[in-house]
Amino acid sequence: MAKILLVDDDQTFVNTTRELLEMLGHIVASATSFSSAKEILNRQSFDHLILDLILPDGSGLNLLESIEDHNSCSVTLVTGHPSVKSLVKDLLGPNISYLIKPIDLQQLKAALDTTTSSIAELNSDKDLHFGCLVGESKPMTNLYQQIERVAKTKANVMLMGESGVGKEMVASAIHSASQVKGDLVAANCGALTSELIGSELFGHEKGAFTGAIQRKEGVFERSNGGTLFLDEVTEMPIDQQPNLLRVLETQKLTRIGGTELINVNCRVVSATNRSEAQLAEEKCLREDMYYRLAVFPITIPPLRERKEDIPLLVEHFIKGFNREYESDIGVDEKSLERLSTYDWPGNVRELRHAIHRAYIMADVTTNLLVLPENFTSPFSKAENSSPGITVGKTVEDVERELIESTLKHYDGDKKKTAEVLGVSLKTLYNRLNSYSEETA
Amino acid sequence: MNEDVKKLIHDARNPLNNISVNAELGKLTLETINDKEKAMAIFDTIVNECKRCSQSLDVLSSYLKDSKSSPDE
Repeated sequence: MAKILLVDDDQTFVNTTRELLEMLGHIVASATSFSSAKEILNRQSFDHLILDLILPDGSGLNLLESIEDHNSCSVTLVTGHPSVKSLVKDLLGPNISYLIKPIDLQQLKAALDTTTSSIAELNSDKDLHFGCLVGESKPMTNLYQQIERVAKTKANVMLMGESGVGKEMVASAIHSASQVKGDLVAANCGALTSELIGSELFGHEKGAFTGAIQRKEGVFERSNGGTLFLDEVTEMPIDQQPNLLRVLETQKLTRIGGTELINVNCRVVSATNRSEAQLAEEKCLREDMYYRLAVFPITIPPLRERKEDIPLLVEHFIKGFNREYESDIGVDEKSLERLSTYDWPGNVRELRHAIHRAYIMADVTTNLLVLPENFTSPFSKAENSSPGITVGKTVEDVERELIESTLKHYDGDKKKTAEVLGVSLKTLYNRLNSYSEETA
Repeated sequence: MNEDVKKLIHDARNPLNNISVNAELGKLTLETINDKEKAMAIFDTIVNECKRCSQSLDVLSSYLKDSKSSPDE
C-alpha cells in the first residue's frame, strides 16, 4: 500500500484513476491544479507522485522542485508522448517513471511497483514498531503500549501532538496493529472546503449537485471494516461537525442527494496539533464531537522529550536514503552528538529534512553526512537563549524574561510592551530600572 | 508539426485516455465488487468521452482541411 498524490487538470481522469488506485489498495489524494497540489504537499508527505507536467496555473516541474526539498517520493509523469521522456530525463534523474496515454492497468501497476516494493522493504526493517515507528525511549514505549491496547478495541482515537511528531505514522500503526480487513483511508479536513467536505466524507449520488456526474463513495464508506484517518480534524468548519457527529453516533450515513441509509463500521482516528487546553479555549471542536472522537486520546511526545531516540531515527533515515540513492553514506560521532542535542522544534519531520539536506551535502571522500552550521529553519520556534519556564527558575526570572522578550519583539517600544503585557507604563519603567540596577 | 496541431492532438488524446482508464475501472469493478450500478455509470463516462474524442477529431480534421486550402499555410 502506497500513499499517492495524483495531480492532473482533467477531472474525469483524476476521479477514475483515483478510484482505480484505491481499488488496488493505495491511499490517494488528488489535485487538479498546481496551487492545490502544492498546498497538499505542504501538509502531507507521499510515497509516490503521479503528475501531469502542464497544469492550468503552473508547471508540474516547479512542483517537483519543491518536493525534492521536503519529501522523498517516487515520481511518475503522465505524458501524451514518449518524446517527453528524453526532454526531462536529464533534468529529473533516474528516480522517475512515465505513464504514456492512453494509460492501462498494467502500466499503472508497473509504475507503482517500485514504490510498493521499496515500502515493503522499508517496512520489513526489524527495528520498526508496527512496521513504521522508530524509538526505544520511555515515551515511545508508553505510546506502543497505548497503541497495542487500543488496537484490541473498536474505540475511536484522537492523536494530539505538535506538528511533525508523526501523527499519520501513529494512525498507520494503530491500523496495522488492529489487523482489520478494511483499508486505512486518510482525509485531510483542513484541505477541504466546506462545500466539498460533505461529499468527501459521506459521498454523493449522481446528479446531487452540479458536477456530480456519477455516484461517489465517501471516505467513511471506503474505510468500511478498516480505519478512517481524519487529519486536522479541528480545522473542519464548525457548521459541518453535526453531520459528522450524527454518523459517529449512529454508524449510518446517507450520501449527499441520496435517501438510502448505509451502515458504516470503521475506527476513526483523528488528529490535531492543538493541545487539549486550546481545544477548550478556541472552541474549534464541539464538545460532543470531542467525546465521540477522543474516546481514547493519545498524545504523541515531541522529539525534544525523547532525544535518546535521535540516533535511531538518524540511522533509520540514512538507511532509507542509502537505499533510495544506492549509496553508502554514514554519520560520525560529532555530527550525531550535534543532532542529538538540538531541540528540533519541527520534530521528526524537521530532523528528517535536516538529514536529507546533510545527505545531499555529504563528503564524497569520507562518505559522511555534512551538517549545516546551524539547524534553524524559518519555522523554528526555539531560540538560542532558550527562554521559558523551566523547573528551578524563580518567578522574578520568568517575569524578567517575559518583559525583555516582549520589549525586544516590539523593537523597544515601551508603550506597546506595557499594553501587551497588561501593566501600566510606570510599572514597566520600574521593572526595567530595577533590572539595570541589578546589572550595574 | 505546428503548435496548433499538437494542441488538437493533445485534446483528442485526453478523452481517449479517459476511455482507457474507465474501461480498466469497469473491468475491476465487475471483477471485484460486481457493482452493476457503478459499472453502468462508468460505461456512461466512456460513452461521453467517446463523444468528446470525436468532437476533438472533428476540430482537428477541419483545421487540417482549412490549412490545406489556405495559401498562407
